[in-house]
Amino acid sequence: MGVNGDASFVANNGLHHEVFKVLLDADEKTGITAITGLDLGANIGVYYHVRTSKSFFTIKAEVPKENPRLKTLIDIHPGALFHELEVADLMGAVFEGNELKGHFVLSENWPEGVYPLRKDVDLSQVKFVSTPEHETNKSAEGREVKIIIGPQHPALLEPEKFSVTVDGETVTKVEPRIGYVHRGIEKSTESHTYLQNTYLVERVCGICNPCHAYSFVGTVEKILKLDIPERAQYLRVIALELNRLHSHLLVLGHAGLEIGYETVFQYFWRDREPIMDLIELTSGNRVYGSLMTVGGVRRDISQDHIPKIKSVIESLRGKLPFYRKIYNDEPTLRLRMKDVGTLSREDALRLSVIGPIARASGVDIDVRKDRPYAVYGEIPFKEIVYTDGDTWARMNVRMDEVEESLNILDYVLDHMPTGPIRIEAPRSVPPGEAVCTIEAPRGELLYYVRSNGTDIPERVKIRTPTFANIPSFLKTAIGESIADVPSNFVSLDPCFSCTDR
Amino acid sequence: MAQKTEKKQKSRISPIFKRAIAHLFTKPATTKYPSAKPVLPPDTRGRLIYEIKDCNAIDFGSGPDFRLDIKVMRGSTCHVCERDCPAAAIKIVEVDGKQRPQIDLNKCIFCCQCVETCPRGAIKQTDLYELAATDKESLIMKPKYTQKDASP
Repeated sequence: MGVNGDASFVANNGLHHEVFKVLLDADEKTGITAITGLDLGANIGVYYHVRTSKSFFTIKAEVPKENPRLKTLIDIHPGALFHELEVADLMGAVFEGNELKGHFVLSENWPEGVYPLRKDVDLSQVKFVSTPEHETNKSAEGREVKIIIGPQHPALLEPEKFSVTVDGETVTKVEPRIGYVHRGIEKSTESHTYLQNTYLVERVCGICNPCHAYSFVGTVEKILKLDIPERAQYLRVIALELNRLHSHLLVLGHAGLEIGYETVFQYFWRDREPIMDLIELTSGNRVYGSLMTVGGVRRDISQDHIPKIKSVIESLRGKLPFYRKIYNDEPTLRLRMKDVGTLSREDALRLSVIGPIARASGVDIDVRKDRPYAVYGEIPFKEIVYTDGDTWARMNVRMDEVEESLNILDYVLDHMPTGPIRIEAPRSVPPGEAVCTIEAPRGELLYYVRSNGTDIPERVKIRTPTFANIPSFLKTAIGESIADVPSNFVSLDPCFSCTDR
Repeated sequence: MAQKTEKKQKSRISPIFKRAIAHLFTKPATTKYPSAKPVLPPDTRGRLIYEIKDCNAIDFGSGPDFRLDIKVMRGSTCHVCERDCPAAAIKIVEVDGKQRPQIDLNKCIFCCQCVETCPRGAIKQTDLYELAATDKESLIMKPKYTQKDASP
């Protein structure tokens, strides 16, 4: 049983470490996309989803459930840190050299030794332990002071905690604690049908919901070996690019809000509104499109709507030079963003950073170019790469991508073929497994689905972009002023609902 | 030359000035919502309506566009809307000795999968979006609802 469309091989007894080292030496762009923990009965499967410059494959390791120990990868690739901790917390695998203390995703009052993603766990029997004492702002030894940002903090719109240790005004250490919005969606998918899961996975993230739906139906279609009609693929690209537009406009404005430049925020959000109207026009709802379904899309775009979409694209394109000028020339923005949170190319590669953050540091990874999905292979567009690596470059990557998205939309609307938008798909999925990666607005999004022949999946693994990008913040915040933390952080376009799932 | 520098200076202050003046005469970006209702695009997914006369468990399976590959016996209760609802908002309850769906709008996520699934077209979507209520009970659509009852 192989992972459909992508190669996979078994590497037991610590071989995964050797294999990954060879790959890393051969190709500098090798990175860990995700680590999936699987309950295989007597064994625990630890699947390393690895990307290189042009390929994507899975290294499968299995360890016995009684003694689920295997070698960590953080000694050769620090980007594996978060992925390993997550598998350790939810599946109970032990990574030698990267042991988990307490919990990583689960809440503090979750008992030790109960791993919710294992099949044999009886969740009704779980006895919560008492919550340990809360951390407070306090002086560490000597001159250093610990400042807790979050879970409730004006700079973070969603709950997540970062304990920042400062010496004077300089940040010396950042300790993250994620999991405040962990809703157990991965576990929940194991008790819903594929059809219901299409809507459930959209709820992982409000902003990039079509990306989640597309990835999920993409994996299921790979297992079913369905041939999706071309018009449906074009309609999906429209949904994904409208989503990228609104997400990028959102963060470009939100960055202005974080640094106290509210005019920028108001302007960007004003111009984001017509995009939201287009999403409503094409999908039937402002936020949750619910457009994707296994076998195609649920609704077509009528010919009468195309002029309206085009006029919105044109008006937004006309406004872009003004915004570009603001981000380039405005002294306030430059002061708060230039040379803030600089991430070097080497660090970006080492930390497996993805999406606009990697592209701002000179790493040219974009799933749309590297491993084209839907009809991205036919569409001409530029891959935006900046080399500065700072907050300003990250924002400008997004600014340029807004323009590229507008070009893609123009191309797609002009070249859309006619034909069916949907084919019949069975509700039960034959046994198999598949991986689908796509370029969400925040970076590479991975879905792994394992089916067992029924209409309910056996395991759905979701690896969201922010989860992979948070380590870059932990690196870049150190040595900079505490006042730069918000603008540095918002340049990741963090989405914690995504991160925690 | 002097004229030129004056022109240049003028253009340096003008962006803000021009914008401020222009905004005096342009329409605001916001809408006056309760008094002016937005024009919704066609087929916006809003509140569901349910026509009890169309829901017929007895004749199940005779619909022309019945595309489901499930094994259902003729004459048995349909239940597909209940089975497919991702939010468990639809529950089958007994009304006058017949089993009928009851839609809980408190739980409904407005995906309209039930509209797609229903083999008889008994559940329809509308673009009604003003669903605020002070009583949760009033948002549970009891099966006695007809189209006439559901419209505001």
